[in-house]
Amino acid sequence: MKPREDNPCRPRHFKPGPCAPAALDSPAQQSLETSQTRLVITGALFALAFLVIGLRLVEVAGFKAGESRLARNHGVEKAEVSRADIIDRNGVLLATTLAAPSLYANPKQIQQNQDPRRVAQKIASVLPDLNESEIYAKLTSDKSFVWLKRHLTPSEEFAVNRLGIPGLMFQSEERRVYPKGSLAAHVVGFVGIDDKGLAGIERGFDEVLHDRREPVELSLDLRLQYILRDEILRQIADFRAEGGMGLIMDVNTGEVLALVSLPDFDPNNPGTANEKTIFDRVTLGTYEMGSTFKIFNTAMALETHTATLASSYDATNPIHIAGFTIHDDHPQRRWLTVPEIFQYSSNIGSVKMALDAGTERQRDFLGRLGLLKTPAFELPEVAAPLVPAPWHTINTMTVAFGHGISVSPLQMASAVSAVVNGGVMHRPTIIKHQAGSPVAGQQVLSPRTSEDMRRLLRLVVERGTGKQVNAPGYLVGGKTGTAEKVAAGRYERKGLLSSFVGAFPITDPRFLVMISIDEPHGNKQSFGFATGGWTAAPAVGRVVQRMAPLMGIQPVDEDSPEIRRSLMVDSLTPQGRALAAN
Amino acid sequence: MIRPSTLFWGLLVAASGYAMFQVKYEVAQLEDELGRVNRQIGNGREAIRVLNAEWSYLNQPSRLDQLAKRYLNLGPIQTSQIGRLDTLPRRTPTPPAAAVAAAAPSLTPSLPATAPQLSSNAIGARQ
Repeated sequence: MKPREDNPCRPRHFKPGPCAPAALDSPAQQSLETSQTRLVITGALFALAFLVIGLRLVEVAGFKAGESRLARNHGVEKAEVSRADIIDRNGVLLATTLAAPSLYANPKQIQQNQDPRRVAQKIASVLPDLNESEIYAKLTSDKSFVWLKRHLTPSEEFAVNRLGIPGLMFQSEERRVYPKGSLAAHVVGFVGIDDKGLAGIERGFDEVLHDRREPVELSLDLRLQYILRDEILRQIADFRAEGGMGLIMDVNTGEVLALVSLPDFDPNNPGTANEKTIFDRVTLGTYEMGSTFKIFNTAMALETHTATLASSYDATNPIHIAGFTIHDDHPQRRWLTVPEIFQYSSNIGSVKMALDAGTERQRDFLGRLGLLKTPAFELPEVAAPLVPAPWHTINTMTVAFGHGISVSPLQMASAVSAVVNGGVMHRPTIIKHQAGSPVAGQQVLSPRTSEDMRRLLRLVVERGTGKQVNAPGYLVGGKTGTAEKVAAGRYERKGLLSSFVGAFPITDPRFLVMISIDEPHGNKQSFGFATGGWTAAPAVGRVVQRMAPLMGIQPVDEDSPEIRRSLMVDSLTPQGRALAAN
Repeated sequence: MIRPSTLFWGLLVAASGYAMFQVKYEVAQLEDELGRVNRQIGNGREAIRVLNAEWSYLNQPSRLDQLAKRYLNLGPIQTSQIGRLDTLPRRTPTPPAAAVAAAAPSLTPSLPATAPQLSSNAIGARQ
């Protein structure tokens, strides 16, 4: 190819002008180069951007990565309610939180469009507990916000909505509801207006209930709770008593199956409760338990070998000490063996047994049974026992028959459980024990002593002060107790706390039932007696008869030779026992 | 005169635009539906809570006790109402039984021996 300059047909305008020499390093050429480079870079960037977008499109369209995130964002919120439910061991609902909208009105809006009198009439017709004239007064007030009613039920909300009145509005709120009312009031407790637990499990488990969604499972069995409450109510009415309390415990796990303190309150309206009804006698009350303490006194003597079932003590004469007289309520006026002392609930014999063992052994033994310190329990209402300090000989004597020491019925129940269940002390609990997991326990007395104690407890019901239990076939063993209440620093002859604590079936105990009646008055049926054997024992018997079929416990023939033999109180000394075994 | 490639790109832009809006509306619709279903689930759960509470309320033992007393001729089970099969008197062999024994000789001899062990459960025990 010829050079351009020599081609005659070359386009004229392509001819470089003489004054514009096409030098490579001319400024025009240079800027052209620069813009070309820039264009390439920009193009590359755009291409990259489109590539990214394209890849993302492929990813989104092809692999649907975005869908799950979208669905998650729009998912149902997990936190539906702010507080978890409380249920019993069988899943029966005890406390739940429901949406309870509150109704309010905008009086200005209502006055503009409608006749307040007619509106008030309509509202009163669907919410009968509101006063029509009060509604009218609120609707005609010069405000733009008035509460009409807090916490409506769903049917009330529906009825108000159906009226279709503009100017009436709902504020969504929540409300704690206790469907079983006062039945388990002291265990469940209640919450305040700000949803904060103020008593019972609601307070003890406040944070757990707040944080957790799964319901809290109590060890209570609502059926037993009802039976126990029903029977205590009946005794209170029959004996014109001040109140009563009771407890059913699984002796092998320490679970509280029923806990009743009467009088009680309705947790749905805690405002109506007063100091007396809100007081949980079982955990927060401490009482001088009276003769039921002889269970521990006798167990201590047997465990420390200061007495055997064959030992006997002189209970002929009352004991006079420091201006007091210790006498027997069922005086036999003769020497009594240890089983007889227990059977007739002899104070004199018990005191002599305690003196034989001594103060140290007594204090140590009661300490092992957890009677000297505040029990660990899930409810916040737990009382510390009133223990003699210093512990003189006179205290040793009175503690032997359950005076001069005050413990809560809860402590009493778990200590008696340990005595009858083979000697294992379990921590009392109100939370359901998960089946399969091991039960923590501490051996506090020997299985041998426990077996002897079971026989003695059966003896009391068969032939002693507990005859009124009368639950044939269920082999109840227990001990009566009648304590004089302290009023104004001295014992009241008339103000009694009459108790019975029993376990059944005593051959292999499963349940402990304890009932105390506060200040009962004797009636015709009880021949004027107001003692534990006449007031609490029959109630325990009826509770056992009602609960045993529910718990699958079969009645046995109490007169069958095997049962008789297994419950015979053998008064043999260890040497005699060894001889008999050979 | 439009070049074929321009036409092609133009059509592609139009098509992708149409597709995009189509997808957008579908998504909006699905989101609406999702919201509606979630609201329904929420309402359903709330209803379940209310019904559970009502069920528990209506099943108060005191109420059931009253209703049972009013409408049923039943009371707490007494010890005397519970028996065991092995406390029943054993059936004495009767002629028909003997005939059965003849028909199946291997079964009959073991029957009286096993009966007490089999029947250790209480009869008549109700929850």
